[in-house]
Order: sequence, then C-alpha cells, then structure tokens
Amino acid sequence: MFRKVKCESQPNSEKNDTRFSTQVKVDRVVINGLDRTKDDIVIKQVEPLFEADTFEEMLQKSGETEDRLKRLGIFKQVATVIDTSKGENASENGYEVNYIVKENRNVSAGAHAEIGTNDGTLRFNVNSPNMFGRAERLTADYRCDNKQMRGFGLHFTKPVNGNTDVLIGANAYQAFNEFPWSGYTEKDRGLGIDLSFPSLIGIHNIKWEGVWRDLRCSSNKTSFAVREQAGHSLKCSIIHSLTRDSRDNAILPTEGTLLKLTQEYAGIGGNAQFFKHQVELQANKSLFLDSVLQLSLAGGVMRHLQANKEIMISDKFFLGGPLTLRGFDLNGAGPCSDGNALGGDMYCVGAVHLYTPLPFRSGKGGLGDILRSHFFVNTGNCGNFQSLRLSDFNKDNLDLFRNSLRLSYGAGIVLRLGGVARVELNYVVPIWLLPGDRVNPGIQLGVGLSFL
Amino acid sequence: MTSMLMEAVKIELGATERWPDNVKLYQQYQVEQITFPDYAACLSVKTFLHMCGLQFTTELKVNAEEMSPSGRVPFIQLGPFLVSEMEPIIACVKTRGFQLCSELTDIHKSEMKAYMALIGNTLVNAEHYLAWFNKDVFDEVTKPRYGSMYPWPLDGILPYMKQREVRKRLASLEWTEKSFEEVCEEVLTCCQALSERLDKQDYFFGKKPTELDAMVFGHLFTLLTTDLPNREFALIIQKFDNLVNFCQRIDQKYYKNLNNDY
Repeated sequence: MFRKVKCESQPNSEKNDTRFSTQVKVDRVVINGLDRTKDDIVIKQVEPLFEADTFEEMLQKSGETEDRLKRLGIFKQVATVIDTSKGENASENGYEVNYIVKENRNVSAGAHAEIGTNDGTLRFNVNSPNMFGRAERLTADYRCDNKQMRGFGLHFTKPVNGNTDVLIGANAYQAFNEFPWSGYTEKDRGLGIDLSFPSLIGIHNIKWEGVWRDLRCSSNKTSFAVREQAGHSLKCSIIHSLTRDSRDNAILPTEGTLLKLTQEYAGIGGNAQFFKHQVELQANKSLFLDSVLQLSLAGGVMRHLQANKEIMISDKFFLGGPLTLRGFDLNGAGPCSDGNALGGDMYCVGAVHLYTPLPFRSGKGGLGDILRSHFFVNTGNCGNFQSLRLSDFNKDNLDLFRNSLRLSYGAGIVLRLGGVARVELNYVVPIWLLPGDRVNPGIQLGVGLSFL
Repeated sequence: MTSMLMEAVKIELGATERWPDNVKLYQQYQVEQITFPDYAACLSVKTFLHMCGLQFTTELKVNAEEMSPSGRVPFIQLGPFLVSEMEPIIACVKTRGFQLCSELTDIHKSEMKAYMALIGNTLVNAEHYLAWFNKDVFDEVTKPRYGSMYPWPLDGILPYMKQREVRKRLASLEWTEKSFEEVCEEVLTCCQALSERLDKQDYFFGKKPTELDAMVFGHLFTLLTTDLPNREFALIIQKFDNLVNFCQRIDQKYYKNLNNDY
C-alpha cells in the first residue's frame, strides 16, 4: 500500500514517528480517469476518507479506499497520490488525495472451442463489468455442441447502494447436463434472484430459484427406477446459505476454518417439494516442518414435504469421487439400481488429511509452492432414512449406519490450479465398501472445483 | 451395433418365458390427462392384449410419455423389457407365442397389414390433426388435458411444445397443408374402405378377431365416444352402421365383463 502513496509535502516524514500522528485534514479527494462511471458510486467509496484526523489514519483510509475502488471490479488500475492541498481554500495541514484510475473496457468478449474424441463444443461469452455506470455487471455466455445441445446463461449483479459487500443479482439460464452415473440427461431452464450480504456471523446469500427440469433417459439400458422419474418437473425454492471462511487459502490452506450452511426449501409452487439442509466444516492446523493437518466434515439431509412421497433424483445427494470420497468412482457410493446411482436422502462424509511439502523440499520457490503431498483417510455414507425421529436413533439403526459406512485411505499429490481448482493424483485403497458401489482402487486422478 | 445385437439376443433369450404375471401397460391418467389420439393408441393395444387373452395391469403415470423408450404411449413392461407402440408390441407378443392372425392365409395377412397401415396413415394423422390443430378442440380439450397434471407455468407451456412436435411430424407427411374438410374427406375414405372390408362379417377376417380388429376398435370407439366440441369425425363414422355395430360388439365382448374398465 505504501509503495503507491507519494507523500510529496513532507520529505522526511516517514522517519519521524510523531509526524504520523500529526493532525491533518483531507480537503479534497480527486478521482481522475472516470468515463462511464457515475459520480455517486465513487463518492460513496471515498467518503470515509474525510473522517481521517491524523496522518496515519489518512494513509490507512486512503489504502482502504483504494481497496474498495478495486473491489468494484470496474477499474483496471487504481493508483493513489497524496499531496498537500494548495490554493485559496486550503486549510492548515490540509491534504489532497488523488486517485488515478483506468476503467475496464465496457464490453469484453471471448470465444473458445473444445474438441473431445466424440464431441466438440463452442462457447461464446460477453462480459460487461459496468453496464450503467454503477458497477452493474452482466455476463452472458452461449454454448452449442455437435449434439444440438444449446445452452446459455445470463448473470447480472449490482452492488446495493454502492456497497460492494451487499450484492443483488439475477440470472437466467438453459443448460444440458449429462449424468452418466445415473443414466439420464437433463435440460434445465432456470431463473434466479439473489441477495448476498455480510453479518456478524458470516456472509449470507438468500436466493429464490425456479428451475424447469426435463429429465430423459440417456439409453435403453437406463434403470427402470430412473426411467420412472423421466419427464418435466418444476422446482421453486428459497435457498439460504451462510459462509464463514477464515482460511488463508481456499485450495491449500494452512490455517483457519470454514463453515458453510445451506438450507433449501422447495415447495413454493412447482412439483418438487422438499426441505434440504447441508453443512460443511473444515479446520486446518499447521504442524511442524510446514505440514498441515486438515479435518473436513460434510453432511446433508432432506425430507419430502409430504409423508411417503419420493424426492426426485435431480434433487438427491450423491457421494463418491476422486476429490470427495476417494477410491470410488464419481457418485459411485450409495443406493443404486442396475448400475445407475439413485442418490440418497442423506449423506455424510469426513476426511482427515495430512499435507506435507514435497519430499526433500524439491521445487521450493517454484512448482513446489503449488504442489503438496498428502496422506488421507476418508469415510462416508449416502442412503435413505427410514425415519428421522430422534426416538428411532437406537442401537439397531446405529449399527445399520455403521455397517453402511465406506472407508478408504491413501496418499498422493495435490496441485493448486489457479486460485479455484485443484488436481489430485492419488493411490487409494478402499477398504469398506458395499455391494453395488463402483470402486476405483489404485491410482485415481481428480480435477475439480469442489473437494473435501 | 453390438448393443443392437445384444438387444436382439436379449429378446430371444427372454422369449423363453411365456407370459409373466406382472406385465404392466403404462399410459397417462385416463380421466384427467390423456389426449384422445393417445387414448386411441392405448385402447388398441389393450384390446389386442385382451383378444390374445393375456393378463396385464394398467399403470397410470403422469410421465408415461417421457418414460416410454420411443416417446409415445402406450408401452408395456414385460419382465426386464420395455416395448412401446402397437406394432412392436404385436411383434413382441408374437415372440412369446401369441398371435391372432396365425390362421390367416398369406394373402389375408398382407391385406391385414395394408389395412393397418391405412389406419396408421390416415386415421391416426387425422386424430392428431383434430386434437392439435382444430382451434376449438385444442383450446377446450387437448390443451387443458395435456397440461392438467403439471404446475403453473408448465401447464401452459408443455401443450404448445407438444403441438410443435406434432406439427413437425404432420408437416413431414404434408398433412399441415390440408384443410379440415380435406382431413374429413380422408377419414371418410378410410371408413368406406374399412366398411367395405368388414361387410356383414363379425370380424374383418371372418369369425375370429385379428390385430386389425383391435386397432379399428381402438380408434373408432375412441372417436365415437369422446365428447369433443367438434363431432365431425364421429358423424362420419356413424354413417357406416356396420362399423358402429362392430364397435358395440367388441365393447360388449371384451369390456362388459371388465365392468367397462377400458
């Protein structure tokens, strides 16, 4: 932060600590380089700066302001210049803070093609970070492939009242998804409105979502249990999620905890009716020699709003995969029929990881910083509850639960891919499994955005 | 290719079992949902199975159409196999050793096939035309029924999607260019042909029912008994006394003792 601040008025002020507590007054804030951006949204970002009383406070607040301006996501560059205020109206100890900004291009677009062995996909996207001059962001994407599957997505977000922490958003999409593990394809058309805001306990997101799903069997071999659920369904739900994240890195953290709670109530119109709860916990602890111990737990449960009715396969929980319950194929653990995963009403999964730097600290300062070796044990279960009453949690049910747990252990290498994804190459030994599970012992490769 | 071969092998292997007890026929909800062209197709298949003396139960499913491997109703579940639509079902039943036309001569057999194709090419298309492109029938009957089991706004969208699908199919057969009068003309010609073939016999080919009898009954009985804002087709059929009597006869014979449970 200090690097960008140019203090021209007092050349030796940094050397003298008392100078930092000198009484100052911010006379003027000047923002250069605005074109499309409306004044009011920028003024809201810089207003706190006028409250600075001491030099130190002014530096700190000007840095915070710079951060706020950057967070709007509409500027390519933000530079701060602090100067003494000059001119007739200049007060004693008056300063002037200048921000030199460069706006992002109003519209950026991209296109790319993916070609696989049997299919090719074309994607186009358009991104406008500052549509109406108040940091309204619109992203649109369109994809088509050689199977005549066309999808699109529109996503609009806007900071409420110029506050970048409070965002209101709306989206519309059409997507084709394939679920080979369950033998069906689904065409989704959805609309959503959401609001995210911070509170004392974390970041909340409240979303209304309406999705029209058209489920079709992908082949003649699809299990009849899946076939029975083919057709159109409409889900209208309210989803609340709370995220409290104090980790230092989302992919390979060394310290901190994560708590994520999600509740979804589907039953406001539509014919998918359920109440779903999910929780995700993660704790990290640094140990000796740069190694990190990580404990992750996740679980979820859902009920149909009416007794004795089945929840649709599209809404159920699935478990298994190279980044969650390792040692199993993707969604390969849990209830199934004729090789098709049916999903469960509840799931839980836990993992203990020990991350260490690469052996002999190879690649330190380079590749070694995004690579870790890890040792893990993970266990989980996915199934259908007969009853949720507490009185039924007796010994028999507990035994039943214990007998349906899956467990695997192994070791491997983790690669952090950018700030969002991760790649794992593991050797896994699944030791507890159930008939019907699709297991993948030995070497397993996983790439993904969500992991445990 | 391998999967087609496997399918053939599976059907052959499965054919060793004659007729399991738990055969199910899937269709949409009869009272609230099913549209009359679909109902006619289902009634044809059911009549055929009754004529063969085969036991089955009818399962009513909102999503029967989407469940069906071919996207059309009805379909039957025979052990692990799903077979949809009239002709494949006839073929499948034949592999199990049940056949109505086994005593017919080859000439009669091909004649029967020709009449069945006639119904498939005219009566079935005419039914779709009436159900989906006659404004009164579509607005008052087909649209509300087709959407009846879905929540808003799907109840409004799905009938139009289906209409588009039917239009595509009829357009490829050049039926969308026809006026309603021309369609009625087609129905009349078809009925004339059937009436002449039936003449004064009990069934189309003598004393015993055949697949054709099941199919004719399914379509004509549906058109005669369905209460539509446009009764034009029923009026045409009623001009042919022997066809009307034929329908009553089959109804009496196969559905009376089922308490008219179609």
